[in-house]
Amino acid sequence: MNSNKTSGQKLLGFLAANSVPIMFILIIALCIPVVGFSPTFLLNEIVTRLSRNAFLILSLLIPIMAGMGLNFGMTLGAMAAEIALIFTSDWQIWGIPGIVLAMILSIPISAALGVLCGRILNAARGREMITSYIISFFMNGVYQLVVLYMMGSIIPIIHNNIKLPRGYGVRSSVDLTRIRKCLDNLVAVNIAGVRIPVLTILIIVAMCLVIVWFRRTKLGQDMRAVGQDMEVARAAGIDVERTRLISIVISTVLAGIGMVIYLQNMGDMATYSSHSQIGMFCIAALLVGGASVDKASIGNVFLGVILFHTMFILAPSAGAKITGNEVIGEYFRVFVSYGVITVALIMYETKKRREKAGIGQQLAAAQKEEGK
Amino acid sequence: MKNKRRLLFRALTVCILVAVAAVMMVIGRGHTIYFDNKTATVDGQEYKAFQRVEVFVGEERVARLAKRERGMASCVGQRFSFTMDVTENKGDEPKHYEYTVSVPYGMDGMVVSVPALLAGLPEEAWRSEFVPQVVQEEEEEEVVTDEFDMDGSEF
Amino acid sequence: MSELNKTGAPAADKVREALREFGLPRLIIAAFLLLMFIIAPFTGTNLLSQITNVINRFSWNAVLVLAMVPMVHSGCGLNFGLPVGIIAGLLGATLSIEWGFSGPLSFLMAMLIATPFAIVFGLAYGWLLNKIKGGEMMIATYVGFSVVSFFCMMWLVLPYKKPDMAWGFEGTGLRTTFPIDKYYGGVLSNFLRIQIGKLVIPTGALLFFALLAFLIWAFLHTKTGTAMTAVGSNPVFARAAGIDVDKIRMLSVVMSTWLAAIGILVYEQGFGFVQLYNAPFNMALPAVSAILIGGATANKASITNVVIGTILFQGIVTMTPTVMNGLINLDISEVLRMVVSNGMILYALTRKTEATR
Repeated sequence: MNSNKTSGQKLLGFLAANSVPIMFILIIALCIPVVGFSPTFLLNEIVTRLSRNAFLILSLLIPIMAGMGLNFGMTLGAMAAEIALIFTSDWQIWGIPGIVLAMILSIPISAALGVLCGRILNAARGREMITSYIISFFMNGVYQLVVLYMMGSIIPIIHNNIKLPRGYGVRSSVDLTRIRKCLDNLVAVNIAGVRIPVLTILIIVAMCLVIVWFRRTKLGQDMRAVGQDMEVARAAGIDVERTRLISIVISTVLAGIGMVIYLQNMGDMATYSSHSQIGMFCIAALLVGGASVDKASIGNVFLGVILFHTMFILAPSAGAKITGNEVIGEYFRVFVSYGVITVALIMYETKKRREKAGIGQQLAAAQKEEGK
Repeated sequence: MKNKRRLLFRALTVCILVAVAAVMMVIGRGHTIYFDNKTATVDGQEYKAFQRVEVFVGEERVARLAKRERGMASCVGQRFSFTMDVTENKGDEPKHYEYTVSVPYGMDGMVVSVPALLAGLPEEAWRSEFVPQVVQEEEEEEVVTDEFDMDGSEF
Repeated sequence: MSELNKTGAPAADKVREALREFGLPRLIIAAFLLLMFIIAPFTGTNLLSQITNVINRFSWNAVLVLAMVPMVHSGCGLNFGLPVGIIAGLLGATLSIEWGFSGPLSFLMAMLIATPFAIVFGLAYGWLLNKIKGGEMMIATYVGFSVVSFFCMMWLVLPYKKPDMAWGFEGTGLRTTFPIDKYYGGVLSNFLRIQIGKLVIPTGALLFFALLAFLIWAFLHTKTGTAMTAVGSNPVFARAAGIDVDKIRMLSVVMSTWLAAIGILVYEQGFGFVQLYNAPFNMALPAVSAILIGGATANKASITNVVIGTILFQGIVTMTPTVMNGLINLDISEVLRMVVSNGMILYALTRKTEATR
C-alpha cells in the first residue's frame, strides 16, 4: 500500500515475515556447538529425513492453495497407506513391487476418505481446520475398528505374524523389513560419507514439478481463485464445492503415497500410532519453513524439513547436555512443534482481522468521499 | 465430446493402475526357499545326503550345509535361479551345478530336497511346502492405541 | 432440514421441531444408552453396580464439562483450550501436596492455590482469544497443546521434593501418575456417601457440582451474565448496547479456566490419582463432546445440557464395555468412544446454523 518505506522498515518487515525460520536458525546455531555432532552424521540424518518426509509435506500445499488452510486430514491418507501396507505385507509382496503395489492400493482408499473429508469440510466452511483436525480423530476410531476388529475376522488376513494371537486384529507393529529402504537404496550414491537416496529425491523433485505445473492448469487457477475469494470465484462460474473437494482428495492421495515412502524408510510400522502425530509434525515442519495458513511454497517445504528436523535431531542431545535429562529435549521438540503451529495460527488470524478492518476503513473512507 | 474423452482418459488411467498392480503382485511375490541336505526317500528309493553343499544366489553364498542341515534363501518372483557346489563324499572335488526352479505362487516357503533334486527326480519329488511349526499359545499382545503418542523420536 | 419447515399439521410440526431441536445424533445416542441398560441384565452384569459406575463417573467429570458453559455463552466457542485450566488445577494440586497439606485441607488448599494460576492463565488466554475472534477453536486447541507440552518440561524441571510425587533417587521431576489417597482422594465422593446394597451415591461430589452449577446458573441471570449471553448471541448488538465485549469475553474465559482447574481437582479426588505430563491432552475432546451430546451447540449451552450430556457420555463409556463383553466377548468400547465423541463434534461443526456466525 505505502511504497515509500525506509530500508529499516523493510528489514523489520522481512524479520517479522520470516520470524519463525529465523528463530529456528538461532536455536539450531545455539544447539550445534553444544551437542557436537560430526557434520557427516548431521548431514546424513538431514538427508535421510528430507527424503523421508518431504513428499508427505508436499501433500499439504494444495489445500492451502485452495484456501482451506492446513489439512489436518492428511492423516487419512496416512491411514490408507498403512492399510495398503498391511495387505502387501500379508500377501508377501517384497521389494520395489511391494512399494509400488502399496502406493496403488492406497490410492482408492485415500481417494474415498478424501471425498468424505472434502464433503464434511464443505459443510463446515470457515472452520475447515478444526473440522479436519476432528475428522482425523474420528477416522482414527474408524481405522481402529477396521484394523483391530475387522481384519482377520471379516477382511481375510493370511499370516499369523500379522494377526494378533486372538485370531483377529492386526498386531501393534507390522514388520516391513522386506521393503525397508528398497526405494532409497535402489539408486543411491555416497558423497563424502553422506548417503544420498537419489531415486527418492528424484520422486520428490518430480512431485514438485507436478505441483508447479498443476498451479498453471485450469483447475489450479480455479483453486487459487477459490482460495482468494470464494464468492468472487462462484460469480466467475467456478464450481467452488467441487474445486475444494478435489483439492482435499489430491492432498489425501498424495499423503498416502508419501506415507508409503515414509514407512519404507522406517522399515517398521506402528499400526496404531504411526499416523497419529504425522499430520502435526508435517504441518509444524511446513510452518517452520516460513509458510502460513494461507500461503505456502515448495521452498517452504524444503527449508522447513531441514530446519525442523535439524532441531529434532539436536534437541534430545542438547537437552541432555544442558539439563542432564534427555527426556527434556524430547518434550522440548514437541513443545516447539505445537508452539510453532500456535504462533502461525495466531499470526494468520490477526492478519485476517487486520485485513477485514482495513477493508472496513476503506469502505468507510469511500463513503465519506461520496458524501462530500 | 470433451466429457467422453475425459471419461476415456480416466478409465484408461484406472486400467493402467490395475494392470501395474497386477504385474507387481506377480513379480513382487516373495518366497522363502529352504534347502535340505538330508537323505530323502522317494518311492522306497533312498537318496543319500551329501558331505557338503554350498548354495549361491548370484555371487552371494546363502547357505553352507553339512549333512542333515537346512539353509534358506529369499526369492522374489516365481522363478528361482541358484548354483550349488556339492561335495559328495569326504575328500571329493566339489561339483558345480546350476538350477532354475519354478516356485508356485501360493507357496510362502518351499523346501527343496537337494539329494532328490540332484538325482533328477520330477518336481513333486524334491519340492514340498514349508509348514511353520504351530507356535505355542502366545501371550495376548497388549495393543496400545494412544491418541497422543508424544514420542516423536521416530519422525 | 429445509423440508422440516414446510407447513403441515401443527402437531406433527411440533414433534418435528422438537426432534430437530434434539438432533438425530443425540436421539441415537440416547436410544443406544437405553438399549444398553435394557440389555445389561441379560448379559449377567449387575444393573445397580453399573448405575453406580455411571453416577460415579458423572461426579468426576461434570465440572470439567461445566467449564465449557461460560465460554460458549460469550461466543468464544467450544473450549478446546480446556487443558490451560487443567494445568492451573494441576499446579494447585501438586503445590498443595508439596507444601505439606493433607486430608480434606489439601483439597481446599489445592483449590485456593489453583485459583490465582487459573486467573492469570485465563487472563492471558482470554486476551489472546480477543485478538483472534472468529478463529478461537483451532487456536484454543493448539494453545492448550502448547501449554501442556510446556508443562511436560516444567514437571521435570520444577524443584518438587515430596517423595509421594517426585521420582525417588534422582530427585528430578514428578511422576507421571501418583495416588492421592493420603491427600484428597475421595474427599468429596465419601462425604455423606449413601450406600444401598450395590448402589453407591457419592453425595458430596454431586452436591459440589450442584453448588457450582447453581452458581453459574445464578451468575448467568445477573446483569453481567445476561450481558455475556448478549455478547455471545450478537456481539454487534451488544456493543451497540454499550457492553464492553472484550471485557465480557475475557471474564468468560477466566471463568471457564477456573472451572477447568476446579474440574480436574474434582476428577482427581474421584479417580484417586493425579495424572501429569500427557494426560491433560486427552481431557478436552471428551468434555467438548459431552456438552454437545447434551444438546449444546457451538454458541448455546445450558446447565441442563451439561447434566444430560455428561450422563449420556459417561453412560456410554461405562456401559458399553461391560455389556459388549458380556454379549459377544468383544471390547470395542474404546473405538466406540472415539467414533461417538468425535462424530458428535463433527456433527456440531458442520451444522449450517453454526457454520456462519
